[in-house]
Amino acid sequence: MMKKIIAIARWEYLEKVKTKTFIISLIITPLLIISFSVLPSILFQQESTNVQVLGIIDETGTYFLKLEEELQKYFLPNGQNKYVLINLTQKNQNLEELKNLADKKVLKNLLEGYLIIQTKEKDSILAEYRSDVFGNNEIVSRLEETLNSIRIESILESEGMQSKVISQIQDRTIVQQNKIEEEGRITKSDFLTTFFISIVFILLLMMMVIYSGQLLVRSMIEEKSSRLIEMLVSSSTPDELLAGKVLGLSLLGLTQMVIWALIGLGLVGSALVPQTAFHNVLPMLIYFILGFLFYTTLFVGIGSTVNTEQQAQQITTYLSLILMLPVVIAMPVIQNPDFIVTKIFSYIPLTIPTVMVLRLNVQNVSTLEIVLTISILVLSILIVTKISAKVFRIGILSYGNKLSFKEIINWLKE
Amino acid sequence: MLVVNNLVKRFNSTLAVDDLSFTVKSGKIFGLLGPNGAGKTTTIRTILNIIKPYSGEIIFDGKPITYEYYNIIGYLPEERGLYKRSKVIDVLVYFASLKNVKRKDAIQLSDKWLNKLNISNLREKRIEQLSKGNQQKVQLIAAIIHNPRLLILDEPFTGFDPINQQEVKDLILSFLSEGKTIILSTHQMDLAEKLCEEILLINDGKEVCIGKLSEIKKRFGGNNIRLGFRGNGNYLKEFPEILKFDSYSNYTDVQLKDDVNPSEFLKKLIEKIEVHHFSIIEPTLNKIFIDLIKESLPR
Repeated sequence: MMKKIIAIARWEYLEKVKTKTFIISLIITPLLIISFSVLPSILFQQESTNVQVLGIIDETGTYFLKLEEELQKYFLPNGQNKYVLINLTQKNQNLEELKNLADKKVLKNLLEGYLIIQTKEKDSILAEYRSDVFGNNEIVSRLEETLNSIRIESILESEGMQSKVISQIQDRTIVQQNKIEEEGRITKSDFLTTFFISIVFILLLMMMVIYSGQLLVRSMIEEKSSRLIEMLVSSSTPDELLAGKVLGLSLLGLTQMVIWALIGLGLVGSALVPQTAFHNVLPMLIYFILGFLFYTTLFVGIGSTVNTEQQAQQITTYLSLILMLPVVIAMPVIQNPDFIVTKIFSYIPLTIPTVMVLRLNVQNVSTLEIVLTISILVLSILIVTKISAKVFRIGILSYGNKLSFKEIINWLKE
Repeated sequence: MLVVNNLVKRFNSTLAVDDLSFTVKSGKIFGLLGPNGAGKTTTIRTILNIIKPYSGEIIFDGKPITYEYYNIIGYLPEERGLYKRSKVIDVLVYFASLKNVKRKDAIQLSDKWLNKLNISNLREKRIEQLSKGNQQKVQLIAAIIHNPRLLILDEPFTGFDPINQQEVKDLILSFLSEGKTIILSTHQMDLAEKLCEEILLINDGKEVCIGKLSEIKKRFGGNNIRLGFRGNGNYLKEFPEILKFDSYSNYTDVQLKDDVNPSEFLKKLIEKIEVHHFSIIEPTLNKIFIDLIKESLPR
């Protein structure tokens, strides 16, 4: 029994590991994942290295100088001031003309953008920032903060408060977010890091499942269309064949993981991946392996009913969509891990691996819940294996016409 | 010895195999014959334990066939195909290992058979680089590499040129002396005629005729002659002695009524048409096959 399973696994593994597509995917997948996940976060954090020239139209006449003074606390890496302010206010021109003039300068790239400050009611002001791009959050939030502090300062000053007190008032309190790991031990949370680790995990699982699933279905189509399958089933039981295929594919997946882990470790060496990514490594690994087994067994069962490349493509598309689901819900899960929908998803076998890994990274999941979800996953693997084996046994011998769902149900009853 | 008793296989409402019983003696080739869709492949698959029979039993050497028999059965399916992108030697070793042959032995055996079939130069080639005939040879080796005691060959000769056909035929015959039990399923009646000692002819899953080939021939022998003549064959219809005839481009096969003496008939014949060939023939298996299948068709 075992001998044959090993022989089948060995064949499936060796024949696939030698293919060009496998070797290419080994290198391309991590490259893709890195470029999808690491690059944006690097770009996001990167401050622009150029001096930014901002125009100011200050109708109040009181803000420009203070603004200029305050913004001098921002420097470029080379020590230069980051922002240079130009006063565009001119007494004899009306606001519309000034705006038109400034718009022109922005569009000609002479200005990064410009700020209009108008008086609203006695103390408050109206501010508008105009530039040729949206989403210049950094500048806008800095301008906002500075304007507010100037306003508060001037109000307090006019009320006769001492400047020492004012600067004390202006001191801001920042709430540090930490996640409790166990009594007395915390990790500093960082939204981007959490998101990054989780997405990398989901992407890895997804790519591995889809990739090996496709390999498997394709090889099964070959075996069926060439009737090789008849020689196989006259040599070993369908169950042995199923077990051998799943084992071989898992080994293939393991090979990929080890190689990717080595690449990952190399990245840690270069400090691209934060160390915090690795403190939940054991449960994450369990979820990953079980998730992979679950999906692969499912694939073998469904794959055995397929006769043509097109049908195979349809099926892989559906399965990929199911696998995509966790990516869609990743954001809400991270932001609100206690949400009821999140809880539900962490008990559905199809989404257990991904949702649980997301939750492990953002909250302290109770051991009971981990044990419970792992048991559900193991149980569903056993059930899926049983069903897949049954479908597989008959599916591999049915050629030609497309199988209806009804027929498959009939097989299961047999 | 393989014994099949009252084998029945149903697919939903259709009867694919309807109460077949036969015995295959070791050291003999048993011909399983029948037109397309007669139920040959289903019968073979049941013997191979790929599908379960609805009822009936299959006994090999005194014991019912189970999964344990996998390692002593060799099977060459009708439709051929191998892992196209894999190497010949790898494929052979894989199939041997599926029959529990040790890797080391499997490599040795592969080389022995590649040598025997004169394709040892293809050992390291990929299957897709081989000609169709050579691919078939590789598949034949894959079916016999583990020295099976029961060998089931489904159309083993298709795709081979006459020289290779001869080679394969000699190979099959050499197995007989080793006492193997062989089931041969084929459409090629001339080859079945040369190789099989006993046959089972089936149609629509039912037995049409079973027994020793020599006895069947005697049974269906009849009074047959082959004629070559000039002129219109329609004349033949007018002879009351003729039961039926089949015309071909160069000659006509005629079945006479049992009490007709062929020589007397010839005398009568030359008065009407110009005969340039006349011979008394034994019915070929082909002829028996066609006649029996036609008869068994529902009218």
